[in-house]
Amino acid sequence: MLDLKILRELEETLGRGRVKTDMESLISYSYDGTFQERLPDAVVKAHDVSEVSNIMKISGAYGVPVVPRGAGTGLSGGVVPLKGGIVLEMTAFNKIIEINMRNKYAIVEPGVYTNDFAEAVEKVGLFYPPDPASSKSSTLGGNVAECAGGPRGVKYGVTKDYVMGLELVLPDGEILNVGNMVDGETGWFDLPLLLTGSEGTLGIITKIIFRLIDNPEHKQTLLAKYDQVIDAGKTVSSIIKNGVIPTTLEIMDRTTIQAVENFLKIGLDTEKDAFLLLEVDGSKYEVAKQLEQVKQICLECGAVEVETASTKEESDRLWKARRSISGACGKINPTKIGEDATVPRSKIPEMIVRLREIAKKYQLKMVIFGHAGDGNLHPNILTDKRNSEEMERVEKAVSELFNAAVSLGGTLSGEHGIGYMKAPFLKMEMGETGYQTLKKVKEVFDPKGVLNPGKMFMDEEMF
Amino acid sequence: MSKHRQEIWENELAKCIKCGTCRSVCQVFQSVDDESYVARGKMRLVDAYLNNKINLTDGLAQRMSMCLMCKACTASCPSGVKTDRVFLEMRNYLAEEKGLSKVKRMAFTWLKYRNIFDFSLRFGAFFQGLVFKGLPDRNGRIPRFPIPVAGFNQRRIIPTLAKRPLRSMLPEVVKIDKPKMRVAFFTGCMMNYVYPESGLALVDVLRANDIEVVTPKKQQCCGTPIFTSGDFKTGRLLVKQNLTAFCDLDVDAIVAGCASGGVAWKHEFQTILEEDDEMLPVAKKLAEKSYDISEFLSKIELNNNFGRVEKTVTYHDPCHLNRGQGISKEPRDLIKAIPGIKFIEMSHADNCCGSGGSFNLSYYEVSRDINNKKVKSIGEVKPDIVLTGCSACRMHIEDGLFQSGLNIPVRHTIELLAESYRKQGVI
Ligand SMILES: Cc1cc2nc3c(=O)[nH]c(=O)nc-3n(C[C@H](O)[C@H](O)[C@H](O)COP(=O)(O)OP(=O)(O)OC[C@H]3O[C@@H](n4cnc5c(N)ncnc54)[C@H](O)[C@@H]3O)c2cc1C
Ligand code: SF4
Ligand code: SF4
Repeated sequence: MLDLKILRELEETLGRGRVKTDMESLISYSYDGTFQERLPDAVVKAHDVSEVSNIMKISGAYGVPVVPRGAGTGLSGGVVPLKGGIVLEMTAFNKIIEINMRNKYAIVEPGVYTNDFAEAVEKVGLFYPPDPASSKSSTLGGNVAECAGGPRGVKYGVTKDYVMGLELVLPDGEILNVGNMVDGETGWFDLPLLLTGSEGTLGIITKIIFRLIDNPEHKQTLLAKYDQVIDAGKTVSSIIKNGVIPTTLEIMDRTTIQAVENFLKIGLDTEKDAFLLLEVDGSKYEVAKQLEQVKQICLECGAVEVETASTKEESDRLWKARRSISGACGKINPTKIGEDATVPRSKIPEMIVRLREIAKKYQLKMVIFGHAGDGNLHPNILTDKRNSEEMERVEKAVSELFNAAVSLGGTLSGEHGIGYMKAPFLKMEMGETGYQTLKKVKEVFDPKGVLNPGKMFMDEEMF
Repeated sequence: MSKHRQEIWENELAKCIKCGTCRSVCQVFQSVDDESYVARGKMRLVDAYLNNKINLTDGLAQRMSMCLMCKACTASCPSGVKTDRVFLEMRNYLAEEKGLSKVKRMAFTWLKYRNIFDFSLRFGAFFQGLVFKGLPDRNGRIPRFPIPVAGFNQRRIIPTLAKRPLRSMLPEVVKIDKPKMRVAFFTGCMMNYVYPESGLALVDVLRANDIEVVTPKKQQCCGTPIFTSGDFKTGRLLVKQNLTAFCDLDVDAIVAGCASGGVAWKHEFQTILEEDDEMLPVAKKLAEKSYDISEFLSKIELNNNFGRVEKTVTYHDPCHLNRGQGISKEPRDLIKAIPGIKFIEMSHADNCCGSGGSFNLSYYEVSRDINNKKVKSIGEVKPDIVLTGCSACRMHIEDGLFQSGLNIPVRHTIELLAESYRKQGVI
C-alpha cells in the first residue's frame, strides 16, 4: 500500500478522482499479454507533459516505482508492476500532431494506436512500415519502447529505423528532447536510438518524431509450400544470399497451419510441413522480376508448390491467416508461451532442427511461425498454466531454447523486448561486461531505480 | 454457485490469452478508455472473483452492467473466448446474489402486467400526456415511466407511442387464398408498442408472397432486456410463455421482426432455460425453424415484382443480427434488389449504435458518445433514409440524428420492401 500522504499529493497535482486505488482498477492494470500478474498500488492517467513531470517528481521524492503503460499488449511483461507502485497510463496522449508531407516526417503522441497512425499516413500517400501483428491494439509509445517489428522488417527494418526524435520525461521530472525532424542524425551519442527499446526503464516518452517514406507502387504476395520445414529454412537463407529483398518473408510450420485452418476455415493445405509467405514490392517491372527470381529459388530449395496471389482478396486471405496465428494457437491450448529468440538468417534451418528436438525432448506442443526473413522464428509452446508439472518442463525447454539461439550467434529478443520474462537470460547474452555497461546506463538516467523496476535487470538490491 | 456456471467461467478464462485484441473493437472501452471496462479487464475481474481476490462489489457490478452485450469482443477474439456468455452469467449471478438495480426492476415488473400496459397504450392520446412529457417542438417525448427496451432517461427522446399496439390491430390469422406457406410472426415489444407500421409492413410483404401469417395473441416480450440484465427468473417466465404460445401452431417457420427476438428464439431461450427444464427440447425444436425476416425472405422464392423507389439509402448492422445471427448480406441483397435504390455503405456499418438494450437506460452519456460516431458515419453518406433490422437500433439512431439536427428518417428494411410492392400495386 502506498502511503496516504503520497496518494494525497498525487491527487492534489492531478485533481480529485484521478488516482484510482479501487480493487477493480488495480486488478485491471496488473497484467499484459504475458501470464504473470502483479497488483500496482495506484493507477493514474496523465493528460499532458506537465502532469507526467509532476508524477515523476512525486515518485522520485518518495522512491515509488512508476510503470508507463500503453495498451498492455506487450509479450515480455513490460507493464506488469512487479514492485507495485504507480501504473501510469499514457493512452490520453492520443494526438497525431503533424504529418509533414514535404519533409516526410510525423510528430505524434505515444498513445496513438499504431494502425490509426499507419492509416492516417497512408491517406496522405506516405508509408509508415513497422507493422506488428498487434497494430490495431498497440500504441506507438509501446512500439518505440519495445522497438516493435513486424513482417515488413526484412526490407524496411523495425521501429528504431523510423524514430528520428523523442520527447521524454526523465525520472526526476525534467523534460528531455533528443533528435530532430531533419534527419534524426545527432552529432553526439545517438540518444533516440538508445531510448528506443528502453522498455520504460529510462524515461517516459511523451512525443515521437517518425520518419516516413514513399508508398511502394506495387505489391505481390506469393505462397510457397513445403513437405519439409528445413527446405523452407534453406529457402530463406538462399533468398537473402541471392540479394533479393522481399518486403516480408514469413514462415509457418505444420502445427501452425493446422491451428489457423481450424480457426479460420479458409482452405489452407494442412498436409504440408511448412509455408513461406512472401511479399515483394516496388515498380511494376521490379515486382515482376523479383517474383520470378523468388519463385525459382523456392523451387530449387525444395518447394513442392508455389502460388501467387492474383487478386487483392487472395492476398488478404493469406495475410489474414498470418495475422490470426496468435489467437488460433489459443484454441489448441489455453496458455501460450511465446518467445522471439532470433538467429542469423543463415542459421534458420539449424535452429528449426534444434527447436523441434527441444519440443520432442520435453514432450511439448510447439508451433513455429514468424518473421523468418529476420531470423525471428517465434517458437511458441502451447500449454496449460494450470498444469504445473508441464509448466516445469516448459521452463526447462525455454531455457534450452535461449541457449540454442545464443549459441547459434542469435539474440534473446527479436522484437518483444526483455521485460521480466527474459531478464534472467540477459547476462547470458550480453556477457558480464555488456550487462554492467547496460546497468551503468540505467544508473545515469534513473539513479533511484524508480522507473519500471524488475525489468531487464535482475539485481534485487537496486532494480 | 452452480457447477455449470463455474465450468463456463473456468473454461473461457483459460482460453483468454490477454492479447488485448478486444480493446480495438469495444466501443464502451473506447469511450471511457479504462481497461477495467474492456472484455480483457472484465475477464480478469471474473477470474479475481473466482480466486477470492475480490468480492461481488458495486464496482464489479458496474463493470458488468456497463457493457452493450454487442458481441464485438466475442466476434473478434482470436481465441474464441465466449465473452458474452461469461458476462451474461456474471450478470445473472450478481442479480441472484445482490438483486437487480432499482430502475431495471421497475421496468421489468411492469412487463408482467402486460395487459394493463396494452390497455393503457390503447388509450394512447390520453395516456401519453400522463406518461410522457412532450418536447417543445413536439418532435419527440421524454418518458416519465420506463418502457421495455426504450428505457428511462430524462434526456432521451422517444417517438410518440403508437395509438394502438400492433397486435391489437392484427387478426390472429391473416388469411390468404391458396397460401404457399404459413408462418408465425413474433413481433417483439418495439414493433408492437412503438413501430407498429413496421409490423404491418412485414405482414404485407409476406402477404405479397402468398404466405399466411399467424400472430399469436399470447406472445410476450422475448425477455432479452430482462435476462441480459441478469434476471433469469423473470426471463424464464417469459421464455416459457412464448414457447407455449408458439409450440402448437401448425406453421412452417417462426419469423422475427426484430434482431433481438431472432437471437432469442434461435439461441438465448436455450441458454437461459435450466438444463433440466422440460421446455428445453421445445426451445430446441422451435429454434430450428426460427428466422429473421430478411433471412426468411432470402430463403424463399421472392416475388420480385418490385416498384421503383428513387432513394439513396444506407444500412446499419444491428449487433444482434450481424454478430448474433450472422446476417449481414441478406438485408443488403433485399435492399439492392429494389429498382431505383442507390445503396451507399456507411463506414463501420457494423459498429454498435450504442443502444445495447437497457444499456442506454443506465449509461446514457456513454451511449450517446458511441451513437455520435454512428451519426457521423451516416452524415457522411447523406442518405434519404437509414435502414436497419432492429427497432431498438432504429430508436437510438433516430434519437441521435435528431439531437444532431440531422433530419434523416430511420426505417426497418421491411418497410422499404413494402413501399416498393405498394408502388407496383402488389399490396
Ligand atoms: C497478438 C499479439 C501480436 C503481437 N505481434 C507483435 C509483432 O508482430 N511484433 C512485435 O514487435 N510485437 C508484437 N506484439 C507485442 C506488443 O504488441 C508490442 O510489444 C507493442 O509494441 C506493445 O505496445 P503497447 O502499447 O501494448 O505497450 P505496453 O505493453 O503497454 O508496454 C510495453 C512496454 O513499453 C513501455 N511503454 C509503453 N508506453 C510507454 C511510454 N509512453 N513511455 C515509455 N515507455 C512506455 C512499457 O513500460 C512496457 O515496458 C504482439 C502482441 C500481441 C498480443
Ligand atoms: S480478444 Fe479474447 S483472448 Fe484477447 S484479451 Fe480479449 S477476450 Fe482475451
Ligand atoms: S459486448 Fe460489446 S460492449 Fe461489451 S465488452 Fe464486448 S465489445 Fe465491449
